[in-house]
Amino acid sequence: MKAVTSNERTMTIIQKPKKKSFWKTFVQQKYLYLMSVPFVLLVIVFNYFPLWGWSMAFQNYKPALSLFQQEWVGFEHFIELFSDERFYRALRNTLGMSLLGLTVGFVMPIIFAVLLNEVRLSVFKRTVQTITYLPHFVSWVVVAGIVTKMLSTDGGVINEMLISLGILDKPAQFMAEGTYFWSIVVASDIWKEMGWNAIIFLAAISGIDSQLYEAAKVDGAGRLRQIWHVTLPGIRPTILVLLILNIGHLTSIGFEKQMLLGNNLVVDYAEVLDLYALNYGIGLGRFSYGTAIGIFNSVISIILLFVANGIFKKYSNSSVM
Amino acid sequence: MKKRMSKITLLLAACFVLIVSGCTSKSNSEGEKNKEGLTEFTLFSADPHSQWDDMGSPVSKVVKEKTGVTLKPEFDVNGGDQKIALMVASGEYPDLITPKGGAGTLVEAGALIDLTDLIEEHAPNLKKIYGDYMNRLKWSSKDESIYILPTTPVDTQYFSPGHGVGLQHSVVKELGFPEIKTLKDYENAIKQYKEKYPEVNGQPTIGLSLLADDWRIMISTTNPAFWTTGVSDDGEFYVDPKTYEAIFHYKRPEEKEYFRWLNHMNAEGLLDPESFVQKYDQYLAKLSSGRVLGIIDDDWQFAEAQRSLREQGLHDKMYGLYPATLNEDMKHANFQDAGYLAGWGIGITVDCKDPVAAIKFLDYLASEEGQMLQNWGIEGEHYTIEDGKRVISDEEMDKRNNNANYVKETGIGVLKGFAPSYGDGVLDSNGQTYTIASPEQVKDSYTDVEKEVLSNLGVEMWRDLYPQKDEFPVKPWGVAFNIQVPSDSDLALIEQKVLDIVKKRIPEAILAKPADFDKIYDSFLKEIDKAGAKEAEAMRTELIKERVELWNN
Repeated sequence: MKAVTSNERTMTIIQKPKKKSFWKTFVQQKYLYLMSVPFVLLVIVFNYFPLWGWSMAFQNYKPALSLFQQEWVGFEHFIELFSDERFYRALRNTLGMSLLGLTVGFVMPIIFAVLLNEVRLSVFKRTVQTITYLPHFVSWVVVAGIVTKMLSTDGGVINEMLISLGILDKPAQFMAEGTYFWSIVVASDIWKEMGWNAIIFLAAISGIDSQLYEAAKVDGAGRLRQIWHVTLPGIRPTILVLLILNIGHLTSIGFEKQMLLGNNLVVDYAEVLDLYALNYGIGLGRFSYGTAIGIFNSVISIILLFVANGIFKKYSNSSVM
Repeated sequence: MKKRMSKITLLLAACFVLIVSGCTSKSNSEGEKNKEGLTEFTLFSADPHSQWDDMGSPVSKVVKEKTGVTLKPEFDVNGGDQKIALMVASGEYPDLITPKGGAGTLVEAGALIDLTDLIEEHAPNLKKIYGDYMNRLKWSSKDESIYILPTTPVDTQYFSPGHGVGLQHSVVKELGFPEIKTLKDYENAIKQYKEKYPEVNGQPTIGLSLLADDWRIMISTTNPAFWTTGVSDDGEFYVDPKTYEAIFHYKRPEEKEYFRWLNHMNAEGLLDPESFVQKYDQYLAKLSSGRVLGIIDDDWQFAEAQRSLREQGLHDKMYGLYPATLNEDMKHANFQDAGYLAGWGIGITVDCKDPVAAIKFLDYLASEEGQMLQNWGIEGEHYTIEDGKRVISDEEMDKRNNNANYVKETGIGVLKGFAPSYGDGVLDSNGQTYTIASPEQVKDSYTDVEKEVLSNLGVEMWRDLYPQKDEFPVKPWGVAFNIQVPSDSDLALIEQKVLDIVKKRIPEAILAKPADFDKIYDSFLKEIDKAGAKEAEAMRTELIKERVELWNN
């Protein structure tokens, strides 16, 4: 622990900014700047130019007309959006599923990575790692098929198992019950992504200086103590950075899972913002309305990102900005 | 430093030029004739075409020779809506386009040309094929131009029913061929058979399975509500034949009774508990296993399962369609005639280089000669003439039925979807049908089990079980669902909202305890009214009245 803090201290000393004018640095590092130009351009063209499309949210956009022929309506689409109860339900489902996903789906890979790291037999370790990250490459279409099959009342594995254990006396309708839906989505997401998400933590763990473990051992620390005092503090920066970035993505959780796993009976729990935008925006050719939802999404993401970043900056030294 | 800065500016400029030129570069297909000396038309089709022959098959070669026109098509796999929106945004169109539901967008953008005068001057065959239906080609009462030439076959006779309740042949055989006239008859048949055989191949027998996967809920769960109560398809609406007043069809009291019957089926344990959860592929797999006794579905939707049962040799597990209704006074309206359904078809765009050549090309395809090529092929090669009649040899017929790439290799029917055509059963100038389909052909395709069932029921074909076409009046508005409305209109929005409520509440009502059914159904009706159902009904009524006016004056 001590070693880590002193390490951080030296780093801050090195990083202390020297007073120097920007132009002087610029001239000095001209080649570096030049080399970054293509990438800056790439970002501008693909990430900032499209922002121009936001103007659509304030028009009654019709595809065939030029900008000057469009009808400008101000905040009309936003007012409609905020007065639609369906939107609030979609928002609730989005936040519900992503918060659930963030808490469970974020902790699991860390625990998994730490535990896997403790395995001594490297063949076993590598095999387990490979097996657990392979599902990441399986399409959601296939995963949804497997999940519905497993939860089926008609010979589904889960129901058969619960019945033979005597927990249930007749098959439960897992996929027809709205209140189960969030858990099913989060659980299948964990099955699919846990191994993949653990890779980055495993990499971070392997970067920890082995001398720290030896020192801990000399101090009389056992396995659990070593995890608590060496491994976890060692990957703390990684955890925090990933957590901040994930919080920024809270409202954009995609829609494949919900669309593929959902059905008409659970739609009250399955419709997320992206799905709502698809059905009631682009699906009906209401480009402006869809854009309004998109803007809302982006604004919320930015706010969440800054808030999370601010909090972490205040209470620890890690931040992404 | 200044020099450096200017270098950077130059680089920036270069990048922009590249980007901009990348966006606007045009393909050089502006030439009038291609290297074969033919006029080459680009064509965008909203539907995929798995049998496209690149205009290189024997039949297509004849078409090229006769018309001097060749096609360079692009087939979309996503229904075309997105591509069409892009075309409209960029203002660049192919010469010909089959936009399906996207026609409204194109017309609004002024992308299609009015074909009225072109048809009058250059297309005698098109005039002949549409005949009295020419009125139905007009776009709307405000704009009477013809933008789209419908490609739906004209005056088709149907040899097989498409809607009804499906029952396994084995059930009918086992119970001694009972009459299936009402839903009660149907229910009893399923019940008796299920009690007798609770298991099929070691798995529990399923009484009635429905499908509710996304939009398919309409086909298998909600549309049957009007079919079984004696009304034909007007999409989500019921149209009063006298006043043309449209209401959402769920509001008819008879349909509530249909859903109550489904609720009862569920309470009895005859309805598959997975009906509203299963996906389409699971449904097909279940049907193909042969343990589902009854289905309520359209023929095309379960055709794949039917084919699979046939291939497995499980001929008595295949389904027959019966015209069961809620009570005996109702007549199943499967064969009610809606007249010619002008709607989807092909249009010529403002970018077309030579509209006259284009309309002549389509006219040729619609002519008797063109129709022969698309249906029968080339004389002497694909058919012969014996005693003045066209005859297809057994060997050729076998190829037609079993060679999956027959269309692609011969070119017979490749261009059929791009031009109007005569429907099944329509006679040509020699008194022979334009298409090769005939009742005899349908009868030949029946399995022995089917023949046995039909003969015991005292009929020759499935369609004979149904009330016939002439028992119903022709609907003067066609069908309500193919009246084009812009997708971003209020009407479309309300319809979407109502449909979303339907998808949720109808399964809920069916799965509820029978005592709660009324309460749930009534609150469902209130909910759709709250979502604007009444406004949508008024708008639809208006559209239907306009169409009746347009088509019948």
